[in-house]
Amino acid sequence: MPPPNTPVAHTPRSLSVDFTESLPFHNITVPPPNTPSSALDSPHHNRQYRSRAPQVVEEAVETDSSEIDESQHIDYRALTYADTVNENLICPICKVAFVDPVDTECEHTFCKECIAHALEHNDVCPFDRNPLPQPATLTRSHKIVINQLDSLLVECSSCRAHVPRSMLRNHLDRYCKEALVDCPDKGCLQQVRRKLVDQGCLHNNIACPDCEGIHQEVAMSKHREESCEERQRQCDHCGTNILRCKQTQHEEECVELIVPCIWVQYGCEHQCKRGELNLHKLECNFRLMGPMADILRKEIQTLQSDVRYLTDKEQLQERRIKFLEGGQRESHRHSNYEEWSSQALTPLADSAQVEPLSESTNEYLLNLLGDQERRISQLSSALTELEGKQTMMLFNETVPIKNQIAELQSNQQMTSMHIRWFMNWRKEDQLRLQQQQRRFGGGGGCAGGSGGASESEVDGGGSSSELATPRRSPDSLTRGLVTKL
Amino acid sequence: MAAKRITREYAEISESPPSGINVSLDNDNVHKWNVVMAGPEGSPYAGGTFHLSLTLPPEYPFKAPVLSFKTRIYHPNVTNDEKGSMCIGILKSESWKPSSKILAVLLAVQDLLREPVPDDALEAQIADKFKNDRPGFERDAKDAVKRWAK
Repeated sequence: MPPPNTPVAHTPRSLSVDFTESLPFHNITVPPPNTPSSALDSPHHNRQYRSRAPQVVEEAVETDSSEIDESQHIDYRALTYADTVNENLICPICKVAFVDPVDTECEHTFCKECIAHALEHNDVCPFDRNPLPQPATLTRSHKIVINQLDSLLVECSSCRAHVPRSMLRNHLDRYCKEALVDCPDKGCLQQVRRKLVDQGCLHNNIACPDCEGIHQEVAMSKHREESCEERQRQCDHCGTNILRCKQTQHEEECVELIVPCIWVQYGCEHQCKRGELNLHKLECNFRLMGPMADILRKEIQTLQSDVRYLTDKEQLQERRIKFLEGGQRESHRHSNYEEWSSQALTPLADSAQVEPLSESTNEYLLNLLGDQERRISQLSSALTELEGKQTMMLFNETVPIKNQIAELQSNQQMTSMHIRWFMNWRKEDQLRLQQQQRRFGGGGGCAGGSGGASESEVDGGGSSSELATPRRSPDSLTRGLVTKL
Repeated sequence: MAAKRITREYAEISESPPSGINVSLDNDNVHKWNVVMAGPEGSPYAGGTFHLSLTLPPEYPFKAPVLSFKTRIYHPNVTNDEKGSMCIGILKSESWKPSSKILAVLLAVQDLLREPVPDDALEAQIADKFKNDRPGFERDAKDAVKRWAK
């Protein structure tokens, strides 16, 4: 089986319609018969459809087979219809209800696949032998035809249920309990009926408990019921042949099995075959007592459960009262807290006050525990609050500091920029001074001034010591400034 | 597709066979049918039983089926020999339509027995006799039925 998106190779033909069942028309965008109606709601589709302009069925170049699983290809011509199909919906060529109906120019309707086959043999309408142009102009049949076809009830080949034809694909893909689906075990390549999917992979071999033959687990129940040679045995009681795998079921209804009277729990000791039990029922001493006792028993059971419920409720309420009493005392004591102003002493005070009052130490301890828990939670909440405050404060403090640092940094950068510019300016100034000195002192003409300037720029730093000093001093000054900053 | 349609048509005809026509498959081959046709009442062939063989090409229904009389018959439109080839409008390749059914073909044969078409004859002598000497034709046809189709 090719992967779902494998493009289908085409042999060019005068009219090549792809015969894959649910392949849409390339141009007319016919959805496959199983397309849910919601898919027809796209504006694109509606527009194309309402215009009903004749459109040529072009060569289907691209195949949209992403949804088509070829293993589950439905043969729409092999379907069994629930009722006799109206003969107006029967294709004159394949003689079954239309599959993807299309209309010819002479207004005859055929299945897309049938008309394509017919046109391979002869370029005339298969119904009235009118010549059809090449390539044939086929339009998708009117919606009313499609709707009638979609609503035809067909029998599901797996579960025999009747479903509308357009729903068959959906039914098989999702709901049909008998349809074959991939085994839930990813490593197992076999298929299993959908109803057995919940039970995991059943494709391991097990031995039949009756005949010891080896069969797959999935087929075992069928084997035991239908083909196992040891599948039948005689019932020990009634002698009829029964299936071994159905023995327990049979024992529940075997008429020859000896069973006790239905009133056995009230003291009837009679035992007889199940078939004769009805006779005994009529004369059993317990026939009047039994039903009465039954009613009483039920009554007692309900009363017992009521009592149990009420006891539980009462205990709960008692505990609640205790708790509330404890709480009251505590609120009394709260006024004393301030006097003592020491929390460490409270447990002691608690014990001193509550002990004589509480009826059971357990209650007291529970109260105490609750109290402590409450206090702990209070403390923890206070702690978190405090933590929050702390973070906020820290944040508030750090933000202006950060801003200041950034400001200082930018300031510093600006200053160093100024200094650099100043130094450059000084350097040029010095050079200009040097040139002027040379011009006046060396007696050189104006010519070569620019050349001389470049020369002095190159060797000026090293040769004239008197110029070097003033130029270096601002340099070192800047460095000092930078380090300070 | 061919096999499916043929099976369907076969089931249809076997379930409710038209009067005087009986079909069965030759060796369970859906492409080869044995047809037994009774001579229609009111025709010179009445009382005769004619065996026909119907061959459906693999291209059916796009190609017409081939029908021949296995029982010899004295009829202007059927060759008066062992082959029993016949000429019938509906089966001619230029007039065959995929929408035609086998049932229609068989009924057309019955009609042909009731009313021969001398203008489209295979046996010119018989056609002449049919046209010019109707009682003589009927007598000969009845004789032929007694000889071959009893």
